[in-house]
Amino acid sequence: MKKRMVCLAAAVAMTVSMVFGTAAMADERTTFTVGFDAEYPPYGYMDDDGEYTGFDLELAQAVADYYGWELVKTPIAWDSKDMELESGAIDCIWSGFTINGREDDYAWSLPYVNNSQVIVVADESGITDLAGLEGKIVAAQAASAALELLSEGGDQADLGATFGSIQEFPDYNTAFTELQAGSVDAVAMDIGVAKAQIKDKEGFTILDEMLNAEQYGIGFALDNEELRDQVNEALLYLTDDGTVSELAEKYELADMVCLADSADEAMTEADTELTPAETEA
Amino acid sequence: MSFSVMLEQLSSGMLKSLGIFVLTLVFSLPLGLLVSFGRMSKNRLLQGVTKIYISIMRGTPLMLQLLVVYFGPYYLFGMRIGGVYRFLAIIIGFSINYAAYFAEIYRSGIESMPVGQYEAATVLGYSKAQCFVRIIFPQVVKRILPSVTNEVITLVKDTSLSFSLAYAEMFTIAKQIAAAQTTFMPFVIAGVFYYVFNLVVAVAMEKIEKKLSYYDA
Repeated sequence: MKKRMVCLAAAVAMTVSMVFGTAAMADERTTFTVGFDAEYPPYGYMDDDGEYTGFDLELAQAVADYYGWELVKTPIAWDSKDMELESGAIDCIWSGFTINGREDDYAWSLPYVNNSQVIVVADESGITDLAGLEGKIVAAQAASAALELLSEGGDQADLGATFGSIQEFPDYNTAFTELQAGSVDAVAMDIGVAKAQIKDKEGFTILDEMLNAEQYGIGFALDNEELRDQVNEALLYLTDDGTVSELAEKYELADMVCLADSADEAMTEADTELTPAETEA
Repeated sequence: MSFSVMLEQLSSGMLKSLGIFVLTLVFSLPLGLLVSFGRMSKNRLLQGVTKIYISIMRGTPLMLQLLVVYFGPYYLFGMRIGGVYRFLAIIIGFSINYAAYFAEIYRSGIESMPVGQYEAATVLGYSKAQCFVRIIFPQVVKRILPSVTNEVITLVKDTSLSFSLAYAEMFTIAKQIAAAQTTFMPFVIAGVFYYVFNLVVAVAMEKIEKKLSYYDA
């Protein structure tokens, strides 16, 4: 009986080490695990064939191909993104992820999309500017950049304070349904997603006044600058060979993708950085 | 997305939900019995431990338990998680939660058995274990089946909670399709899927109940 228990314990220990071990052997990288919100068209979503795709995921695929990594697309619950990243379950958050306001929380890639946070309203609501939102119910995704912007401590906190209330939603589809049903008056969201949402719908407007201008980046764990640098290198290469602009065209994001500018900046920064390093030496 | 692709995607999600469902039952039903033994044990320590276990499992949300099981190894021991462990954590989380509920159901059944049966069995020379396995347990199963059916049906619907660990079971996929296509259709289909699945479960359990009621006319 005792022997059997020992065997059992050994078996359990082996299983555990196998399960955790596979993830631990990440030194020689063979996979590239991208965490994304699968309800976030056009950046990440399920396409007509039931495959995960989108601008971000296709770009991630191109980066993975560049290094010969296998891309693992992991849809995540947006609320749990930090836990997923910290615990190593995903290598990065690549999902229309706003840098502004989170600068120190992640190791950021080069900014790749110029984004704005905007307000979407129903035409019949009669709201035409931000001041018209006073006392209204505004929806925003939980843990989103739009929500952070409008909450205490955000750049638009004063505007947020004039709202009747800010309603948090797990995903934009739900928020939009509520907007259609009239139970919320406006939705605060990223302009790219807003455009994708109202493309097939009538009766919605994006307010001309934007909440801010910001940029998307790929977020890596703070101690994972090595991978970040590798991805940056691949992004620069893909910008040069035209892959990035091709994808931007495909997803109608051409006027927003800013990798070419980031590339130029990265070059100049590299030049200026050389000088202090040399003097130190 | 065509209707057939939608059905296909949701069906593949249904298989994943079914996987969680079956594995949870396979592990939680026996585990629940063990826990119920602990709960009824004369050993005060064992009794206390199982009492606390049941209290925590029933007193906190299943979604929170799933998060703790999945992210716990990293935050407590610094282990790297991800990969296979995502699914494993879901099965562990569901199993230990449902075992607590099943334990109480078993206990209700076992404690409802008249003492006379034990006494008669002892007189007839049955050992304690023999008495439980051959006389008590078969009757317990019959008595607790309706309550078990309740839990099992709840489990079918609870599988959707595994989204908190980003596991693409049916409801998660329904939400994703709904977001990409901006339509409510996937939710309607998901609802039908759940209902049909539960109908099958309910009918099957009723059949088993009938089959076991061999002493009734």
